[in-house]
Amino acid sequence: MKTVIKAGLSILCVWSGAAWSAPITFNTALPVHEGGYVLREQFMYMKIADDLTPAQRDMRVSGVMSVLGYGVTPDFALFGMLPWFDKRLDMTMGGQDLTRRKSGVGDLTLLGRYTAYQYDAPGRTLRIAPFLGVKAPTGEDSARDGFDRLPPQVQPGSGSWDVLGGAVLTYQTLDFQIDSQVSYKANREANGFRAGDVAELDGSLQYRLWPSSLGNGIPAFLYGVLEANLIHSARDDSGGIADPNSGGTTLFITPGLQYVTRKWIVEAGVQIPVVKNLNGTALKNNYVFTTGFRINF
Amino acid sequence: MTFRTFTQRTAIAFSHILVATGVLAAPVTYQLRVDGLSCPFCAYGIEKKLGALAGVGRVETHIKDGVVIVIMKEGFTLDEATAKKTVKEAGFSLRKLEPAQSAP
Repeated sequence: MKTVIKAGLSILCVWSGAAWSAPITFNTALPVHEGGYVLREQFMYMKIADDLTPAQRDMRVSGVMSVLGYGVTPDFALFGMLPWFDKRLDMTMGGQDLTRRKSGVGDLTLLGRYTAYQYDAPGRTLRIAPFLGVKAPTGEDSARDGFDRLPPQVQPGSGSWDVLGGAVLTYQTLDFQIDSQVSYKANREANGFRAGDVAELDGSLQYRLWPSSLGNGIPAFLYGVLEANLIHSARDDSGGIADPNSGGTTLFITPGLQYVTRKWIVEAGVQIPVVKNLNGTALKNNYVFTTGFRINF
Repeated sequence: MTFRTFTQRTAIAFSHILVATGVLAAPVTYQLRVDGLSCPFCAYGIEKKLGALAGVGRVETHIKDGVVIVIMKEGFTLDEATAKKTVKEAGFSLRKLEPAQSAP
């Protein structure tokens, strides 16, 4: 379960750059104009269920991601992302049902993105932008309930300073957009627990469904979106011992819709794990539903 | 010629001189061909940056053609260096700046 949670949440960690007309689940290389802001609010609901172990764990995570992007220069943009989570873990222990739950502000991620390559032509653009960020332990990481200290998966924050980096490629035309990203997140230890590092490879296709032909001015676009996230997570380390029931590889496929105007975007998608090659205990079912909006100003 | 006729003729002649010298000319309009402009959300930044320039009265974007029309206020003009810098600040590339037909 830890792996699936981590895979799901790791996607949220790289949303911070995804503030333009862009993929739903990861970053883009499209610009933020100098001195301009982009605000994104993303609501998500994640369900992880059908645990085959006697614990019959069932976890549900609701969250809101607030992302603010700022164009420092035409080529360099800064992004800040602050999540809020409500995490609930239901399980059976000793024949009794048990619920452990915590909500609160999570860890703040700050990320810088630099456009290293840009090729513009009439009606299309190709850009490559590496990015580097840090996740600060702003969320509570030592919350307790009536039983004991909550497990790391239920804490709103990780307690650790983590580093993430990668690069994103974007090719956008008037008819469609393709994005691809590689990223790596190096997690550090906190409270005797270190989540395994996460490597991710993402792809996205956005195709203009409407209008079928463009007129004058700035017509709104309705994009059909299809995305894929291949996420490999290393084993977690608890008290210096690698957890055999953690780590593995998950492939998510995300169909979605995006309505894009000059000032704002609304979007929705469902991340479905189609491949789960996990270490130890395997889970059968989970999904992430996401919806939200973006505005620029 | 009465004094009134003389005054009218003088006024007409003076207005012709003003038009000829550009003082009373219609606002200047420019057509900017912008490369890399390919989605509605991107257009906001370029309109905001160009609209903030001194003397710009109105900005219209036609993303299908990759064209931004800039209509200046009376007495103002836009030079290519300024246009290029502003388009770059919006994250795009200026291919060409050319005068368009005057605004009505």
